[in-house]
Amino acid sequence: MPGKRSPVRLIVALSVAAVLAVFLLYTSIAGGGTPSVRPSQLAGHKGRVSLMGQVVGEPAGDAHGAGLRFRLRDVKGSATIPVVYTGSVPDLFRKGRDVVVDGRLRNGVFMAVPNTLVTKCPSKYTPKR
Amino acid sequence: MPDLGRAALVTSFLLLVYALVAGSYAAWKGRRRLAESAQNALIASFGATAVAAAVLLGALARHDFSFQYVADHTSRELPLGYTLTAFWGGQEGSLLLWLLVLCGYSVAAVLTARRAGRDILAWVVPTLGLVGTFFAVLLVFVASPFATQAATADGAGLNPSLQNPYMAVHPPMLYLGYVGLTIPFAFAMGALLARRTDERWIVATRRWTLAAWAFLGFGQLLGAHWAYVEIGWGGYYAWDPVENAALMPWLAATAFLHSVMIQEKRGMLKVWNVLLVVLAFCLSLFGTFLTRSGIIQSIHSFTQSSIGPWFLGFICVITAGSLALVFARLPLLRAKTRLESLVSREATFLYNNLLLVALSLTILWGVVYPILSEAVTGEAASVSKPYYNFFLHSFGLPLLLLMGIGPLVAWRRASLRALGRTFLWPLTAAIAAGVALLAAGAGSSRVGVIAYTFSVFVLASIVLEFARGTSARKALGGVGWAGAFSSLIARNRRRYGGYVVHAAIVLLAIGVAGSSAYETVREARLQKGESMSVAGDRLVFRGYETALESNHRAIRALVDVYRGGEYLGRYKPGKNQYFAEDQVSNEVSIRHDWLTGGDLFLIADQVNSDGSIDLKALQKPLVNLIWLAGFVFLGGSLIALWPDAREERRLAERYAGATVRI
Repeated sequence: MPGKRSPVRLIVALSVAAVLAVFLLYTSIAGGGTPSVRPSQLAGHKGRVSLMGQVVGEPAGDAHGAGLRFRLRDVKGSATIPVVYTGSVPDLFRKGRDVVVDGRLRNGVFMAVPNTLVTKCPSKYTPKR
Repeated sequence: MPDLGRAALVTSFLLLVYALVAGSYAAWKGRRRLAESAQNALIASFGATAVAAAVLLGALARHDFSFQYVADHTSRELPLGYTLTAFWGGQEGSLLLWLLVLCGYSVAAVLTARRAGRDILAWVVPTLGLVGTFFAVLLVFVASPFATQAATADGAGLNPSLQNPYMAVHPPMLYLGYVGLTIPFAFAMGALLARRTDERWIVATRRWTLAAWAFLGFGQLLGAHWAYVEIGWGGYYAWDPVENAALMPWLAATAFLHSVMIQEKRGMLKVWNVLLVVLAFCLSLFGTFLTRSGIIQSIHSFTQSSIGPWFLGFICVITAGSLALVFARLPLLRAKTRLESLVSREATFLYNNLLLVALSLTILWGVVYPILSEAVTGEAASVSKPYYNFFLHSFGLPLLLLMGIGPLVAWRRASLRALGRTFLWPLTAAIAAGVALLAAGAGSSRVGVIAYTFSVFVLASIVLEFARGTSARKALGGVGWAGAFSSLIARNRRRYGGYVVHAAIVLLAIGVAGSSAYETVREARLQKGESMSVAGDRLVFRGYETALESNHRAIRALVDVYRGGEYLGRYKPGKNQYFAEDQVSNEVSIRHDWLTGGDLFLIADQVNSDGSIDLKALQKPLVNLIWLAGFVFLGGSLIALWPDAREERRLAERYAGATVRI
């Protein structure tokens, strides 16, 4: 059938266009992702970031009250930042653990978004050789 | 003993290399005896790998801590069951399991899929040999499970979160799924290499693809249930990279299962099918890469190891090689027929395919986004739940709708009048359900109402299909309704098994929509005697009880649940403090309501020293439909998989003479 284009092409072209449109719509509405930073990289970030670091010092305070207070340090480094967190605390959370938590920097304190604290599995179970 | 294991692995490696090299040469030159010997080498490699696996299993059972692997992943106190499942608790064992499953699948597929034709099979053997060689190289040279050390008195023990009955079935299920996708891939490559691009490779591997896909799907639901009842945050899927790693190939394989029907029926979409099977296989390799390389932040955080670059390299080789092959064979992949109408069964299958692939690729984009953004902007950024949910809604809801439309649209072209007649009842049912839902106040979630309305539409069209088929069958005479129904299914296992799987997906959609869109979450700090309410249930905190177990101290909050003055029972969410591991674990308490399918999910979020509790309570409507969907899914898959003598005869006639060539 010369001269007559296959509808398959039409469907594929239209669908790809539709998918791209949906994708662009999303990126224009919701923007990109949340930046993942270490405590040393926190300065200069005004918006919401996800902070990854190691818990140093004994956590104190009430996560279901005024807030749980602890410091996070670069996993490989020395920069630290105080964190205030409210919400559920994972079972594995404690001093020395690597955690990820979302929030914003306010006056030198990282104010965490409630219920975003995630603990990484402790390295105890992955022996290094 | 470790020497025996090592020797077995080296043997397996050599046999697989032979299958690859000799097999390729034999297929290229058309040497039949050599091709048979390559096939025998592939079969023998299963035996050698099985010996290696037996050695490792034996070492685990004997607590032989001179094996590094045994010492790293088990301890003397570990119960025998978990000691044996530690086989796949670590990286080296997982790779060994992968190779074992791959060799097992290879043997079974090569021996049963002779219908594909000898010329295709001659190329399938070296393709399987190539994949097997890759894993054997890893096991022999990079990550040997048989590394030895001076025996220690005791082992390091198994990660407590892996000491769980789900551990015994969930990982092997996923492996059976991931690895199983190698078979259709190998046959597709075999067909291309042998220049036999008709639908025979698809027919020959249909059951293998279906089995791998069913394992992968059921394995994921098992994982979701594990997360729901054991991890205890009240959810079952968190769009974590490792979870996505299994979802992506499953979606691609779902697209493949649908599009091959078009090639079988109408000889179309040949290029597309080959590309889909390459995509599914590469995604399953990528999934293993994700879980094993530690390149992307995940709450699962497995070993960060040296095998990442190997996997990446292999994925690149496979992708480039298969794309080059498809390109070289493009002239042979021309469609015999063409799409006649945008309103036809073929067209709905095509829409479904594009949506599934789009969903799979947007998930892939989200998973690799941290790496890409770091490469481009120098700073890693990640996308989270809203991103995935957005695309699940954008692509998943139309997919749900298509599931109701597709099966009722005629092949080739459907007239709009016929469509109107066909869809009268499902459409009426869906609209009625939508109105009823809005009247009942479900409008609080637009996505929820849409999902439910579509679900009713799909269920109605499935019921209609069964009813129509049954009455047509009964009209032939000689059988009652029940007989007509069962013979309908028995005679079209693939079709009606497919509908049952569709029904499972609808149940899943209802369960997911209900438990996420209509979930109620309440948190409160309660002193002894105080109460809180969540979605009509009143929870009264009655204090704590503690018990000393052999390896942990169990603290349980006593929570009495009342509904409208009626006492529903006492539930005990709490925490366990493990002494040896110096670790706390959350023990949730769930009240299942079998009548409504909903759960009351209780979490003792924080146990306070003043005797109060921070209690978190979730009402999750219809969540149990998700687990029910798992069983329906399994049932539907089994119906479609079940051997069918009638189909066998039909195929035998169709391809008679196909095996005489060479």
